[in-house]
Amino acid sequence: MSIFTPTNQIRLTNVAVVRMKRAGKRFEIACYKNKVVGWRNGVEKDLDEVLQTHSVFVNVSKGQVAKKEDLISAFGTDDQTEICKQILTKGEVQVSDKERHTQLEQMFRDIATIVADKCVNPETKRPYTVILIERAMKDIHYSVKANKSTKQQALDVIKQLKEKMKIERAHMRLRFSLPINEGKKLKEKLKPLIKVIESEDYGQQIEIGLGERSTAEYIPYHMQGPGPSTTWKLLWIT
Amino acid sequence: MVLRGLEKMVQLQKNPANIRNICVLAHVDHGKTTLADCLISSNGIISSRLAGKMRYLDSREDEQVRGITMKSSAISLHYANGDQEYLINLIDSPGHVDFSSEVSTAVRICDGCIIVVDAVEGVCPQTQAVLRQAWLENIRPVLVINKIDRLIVELKFTPQEAYAHLKNILEQMNALTGTLFTSKVLEERADRVGEPRGPAAEPGEQLYDWSSGLEDTDDSHLYFSPDQGNVVFTSAVDGWGFGIEHFASIYSQKIGIRKDVLLRTLWGDYYINVKAKKVMKADQAKGKKPLFVQLILENIWSLYEAVLKRDKEKIDRIVTSLGLSISAREARHSDPKVQLSAICSQWLPVSQAVLAMVCQKLPSPLEMTPERVEKLLCTGPQTFDSLPLETQALKAAFMKCGSEDAAPVIIFVSKMFAIDAKALPENKPRPLTQEEMAERRERARQRHAEKLAATQGQAPSDPPQEGGAPGTSPPAAAEPEGDQRPLESAAPRPPQDGDRAESFIAFARVFSGVARRGKKIFVLGPKYSPAEFLEQVPHGFSAALNELPPVPHLACGTLERLYLLMGRELEELEEVPPGNVLGIGGLQDLVLKSATLCSSPSCPPFVPLSFEATPIVRVAVEPTHPSEMPQLVRGMKLLNQADPCVQVLIQETGEHVLVTAGEVHLQRCLDDLRERFAKIQISVSEPIIPFRETITKPPRVDMVNEEIGRQQKVAVIHQTREDQSRLPEGVQVDADGLVTVSTPNRLATLGVRALPLPEEVTRLLEAHGDLIRRMETWTSSLCEGRVTGELPQKVQEQIREFRGQLERHLTGHRWRDTVDHICSFGPRKCGPNILVSRSHAFQGSVWPEAARDAGRFRDLGNSLVSGFQLATLAGPMCEEPLMGVCFVLEKWDLAAPEAPAGEREREGQAGAGEGDPDPEASGAGPCEKQSFLRGDAAPADCYGPLSGQLIATMKEACRYALQVKPQRLMAAMYTCDIMATSDVLGRVYAVLSRREGRVLQEEMREGTDVFTIKAVLPVAESFGFADEIRKRTSGLASPQLVFSHWEVIPSDPFWVPTTEEEYLHFGEKADSENQARKYMNAVRRRKGLAVEEKLVEHAEKQRTLGRNK
Repeated sequence: MSIFTPTNQIRLTNVAVVRMKRAGKRFEIACYKNKVVGWRNGVEKDLDEVLQTHSVFVNVSKGQVAKKEDLISAFGTDDQTEICKQILTKGEVQVSDKERHTQLEQMFRDIATIVADKCVNPETKRPYTVILIERAMKDIHYSVKANKSTKQQALDVIKQLKEKMKIERAHMRLRFSLPINEGKKLKEKLKPLIKVIESEDYGQQIEIGLGERSTAEYIPYHMQGPGPSTTWKLLWIT
Repeated sequence: MVLRGLEKMVQLQKNPANIRNICVLAHVDHGKTTLADCLISSNGIISSRLAGKMRYLDSREDEQVRGITMKSSAISLHYANGDQEYLINLIDSPGHVDFSSEVSTAVRICDGCIIVVDAVEGVCPQTQAVLRQAWLENIRPVLVINKIDRLIVELKFTPQEAYAHLKNILEQMNALTGTLFTSKVLEERADRVGEPRGPAAEPGEQLYDWSSGLEDTDDSHLYFSPDQGNVVFTSAVDGWGFGIEHFASIYSQKIGIRKDVLLRTLWGDYYINVKAKKVMKADQAKGKKPLFVQLILENIWSLYEAVLKRDKEKIDRIVTSLGLSISAREARHSDPKVQLSAICSQWLPVSQAVLAMVCQKLPSPLEMTPERVEKLLCTGPQTFDSLPLETQALKAAFMKCGSEDAAPVIIFVSKMFAIDAKALPENKPRPLTQEEMAERRERARQRHAEKLAATQGQAPSDPPQEGGAPGTSPPAAAEPEGDQRPLESAAPRPPQDGDRAESFIAFARVFSGVARRGKKIFVLGPKYSPAEFLEQVPHGFSAALNELPPVPHLACGTLERLYLLMGRELEELEEVPPGNVLGIGGLQDLVLKSATLCSSPSCPPFVPLSFEATPIVRVAVEPTHPSEMPQLVRGMKLLNQADPCVQVLIQETGEHVLVTAGEVHLQRCLDDLRERFAKIQISVSEPIIPFRETITKPPRVDMVNEEIGRQQKVAVIHQTREDQSRLPEGVQVDADGLVTVSTPNRLATLGVRALPLPEEVTRLLEAHGDLIRRMETWTSSLCEGRVTGELPQKVQEQIREFRGQLERHLTGHRWRDTVDHICSFGPRKCGPNILVSRSHAFQGSVWPEAARDAGRFRDLGNSLVSGFQLATLAGPMCEEPLMGVCFVLEKWDLAAPEAPAGEREREGQAGAGEGDPDPEASGAGPCEKQSFLRGDAAPADCYGPLSGQLIATMKEACRYALQVKPQRLMAAMYTCDIMATSDVLGRVYAVLSRREGRVLQEEMREGTDVFTIKAVLPVAESFGFADEIRKRTSGLASPQLVFSHWEVIPSDPFWVPTTEEEYLHFGEKADSENQARKYMNAVRRRKGLAVEEKLVEHAEKQRTLGRNK
């Protein structure tokens, strides 16, 4: 019968376990919390600041150290430090609360920065500031998904923000040169994609207009017939 | 009372000789508003009991709460002295340094000013500032030494000590005046010397004039002295005040000494020999009291003593001997202060003393000095004589201040102030006149009859009744407006006023002519030049005003409404004769902050107001709810109009920046935005600090000044990451920084090297941004065939010169032929970075003469340029734009023949862009068209079109090329001009050095003890700088910040100690602060980029107890 007293139970409070299965065996190492991700990013360079001890365990919480034969059969070496490094870089980690928090915060900022970069206020034709976008994102209760790329999420955010406030993708100045014989047909197709046609030149079939980035991406894939060679310049319209 | 007063005022306004336009100036809390209260109470507008407590002119709520004035406000007062009746336009001004712009607006439209000095605190920084302002505007000051009661009650001075103290204050004031005077004389002399000497007709006068001119200029009339009658001693709180004259007349009767003798001797070291009835020169050693002490101060002291000690009999005795009558209520009041003010305000009423001095000593609008007129009319370096003749003729009109119809109307608007539209007199409910009441009664009766008729079912039989009142509008519609109809229904209010609750009134003064309601008038902006107008418009031009040719900064407006300013109230006027202060409504769309209004276009605009404090506190404002942006923008526009000193900017980043004069001013502006102009919740943050990224030459010495290279690097144990490891695979770097990258589909390979540009080149590129942009737009439109022909001759010359300058700076082996090969500038095609092509494959050029054949390289070459533009727009360190970097494209290999046909076709179309023009491709054009189609409809690889890939690859290549060089951050720098007196110089230096500022020069102003310090300060460190410097120097130093240039921060943001020496010096973690890294990380964190910072510094020490324990 175990008596629940402080003396006979040692709580592992500052320990993060990194596990790896190799050769049908499970290996674990004991690390400090909030440090493993830093090591993987290359921010932390001191191994002693990451590892509690250089020994490899089978079960950290029970304190069972891995057998030497097992190590050799799984890793081909019995150098504990080397194996520790391997497990550190390749094993599964439990991301601690602080790490997750900073990661999400960072992604949130990143998304806001991307949105602010890509969008303008249609009334003033000027960009919104990042802080404002962040606040708007909080207003619509946007939650960051750690496994989706920030750019993808930013596009999502723009869609959602459009319902709440006046925001629009910044236009790009696009230039198309269309072959003369099929120009008319192509122009019909282009028309809905272009917001403003700035100038047209029928001699060479050059059109300059404003549209969203997607227009430029759309054309080569979806236009049937001779594809226009598109050249676009990046230009925020202010 | 006020209505009766209005008629009186209108009558008084017509006599300019008896008008005094004055303002009250002082340091903060020296009692300006209280004094103004006393003066107002003398007119019966507020009760004399409330005077000094109510602060009538502080009409804003935050003014009342904080107890400081924040805006200048005017009130017209009536004062009768003997048989003369005066109209006094009193303007109360704020004393706080943040609002000194309001002082400027007040001073401009006055002829004289009352300078108030606290008897205890003496001369303070703002006293100096306002005196200087009054001096600059050429208006005459008089002095009021206020709060004498504090000398008695708080400091418990004896009369003798008080006298010495007052004398001291006077001396300080006079010393200040003296310095202003000397500096002016010296300046004038410098001007004179600076002017070319007259023709050498008088060779005998070659002797240099060594006298400073000080000796021959009379200055005695400038100084403050009680015997001159321009000093009054008051206690505005207790409601008393006196000049020497008052006592002189009393005592000349009492002791029988002539009044003029007393006038001369009451102030100064004179004492009275009572037996001989003679005034003698005093001898302090004998302990004789000066006349001022004996005859004046001692009496006041004994009165205070009696009242404060509640000596009933003595009070009674004094009261009877002074012949006053104190009401029983006040006599029995338990608070001695009430008694005191009851007695004193009867004995020596403050308004009498002050207003009498004002009327005697300050000039009327008629007496405006010619110098002041000339100064007002000449902007900048112009002299009066250089103005057109018609303009010079206006001077006479100024001096005459004539009110006849022929006189030109000249009005100066010194500021616009917002007022609640409901408070305008025309929108106010007012008592009904007899006729209106009758009319209403009639209407009510009619309605009643209608109702009766309706109930009886005979509604249509009523027309005769309605016709019976043809003058009235249809009853149902007119009725609800009945009591709110404007006085003048002929002039309907502009429709926008309805939804805009704020209405702007111009705070102005008529300098000449009569301002009549409805008069058409020219509105001259500050940059308007009459000469330009006179050139454009033939002399004697007399067409209708709105048919004039457009002249810059000239607009035409109507004086829609004229008001008499009565503090919180406005009274409507029909016309305003010259020399008066007035409010004008209906100018909000024409006047931004200040303007000159004139009936003749030959009038020049008045000199811009000189502000003591320029706005320097910058913050970014944003609405709390992002959807409220339009309200904020509109609110900021209104705020900009309503405040003379605020600046409102919208930056490229989309930030709305508010620049104010100080923290208190900022607070007020924000309150105004929240409650009046925008009416939304806003949040305030520090504005974003811009940085630039650049590269430098590799350093020769390390951080401890040891030569690198000679010592070996210490084995870097903890630094496992090397520079190389930052680069992904597929990127090759050779020893001297040439980076080679291929596109994802391996078709094209780019070799790019980054080089730092010499500093002069960067500066040159920055300065010629506009020219480059012009060149670029011309070239691109030429490529599209939209324009043909040449650039204008002048531009071509500029370009040639610019090119020559570039060539001169880019000399040496490395830069050979660089200028000819510049393909683009960046970012945004006109920035301070250049792309140079050394590859034979790509020969784009920015220069117009080479541009003609650039069309052939357009397609793929443009992709490279786009990539370069992207790379320069956001650098690798913290995504800030680059500056002063030259990218050299050394290699550009394009696909080998086995490339997919689609790509080849593209290259073929691009023409001779590639190095090995494939004869097959160009020859087999038509047949390859098919494959081209295939290639584009479903690209052969998953990487998309080559042009897109090239952009990305070029961008990456540029970034890596940067990263292999020593990178540096560049910080924006302010130049900072600080004016400080010598005693606070040390503290100024301390503040500057703590904020990484660098002093460039320090100079003493001639004739003063003020130092001018010129320093540079990083923008990043400038927040709170103004406030700190003011606090630390108790307001004696005031900085001005202007953006000047970009400066490289010398420290390397990625620096870690590597050599042995460095380890010894810094330790292995380099704990000492790295300024550049701090900035870089702050920017990265703001943008959500990965920051190389450890979450937890010491793993062992973190507190990680679980939540449930």
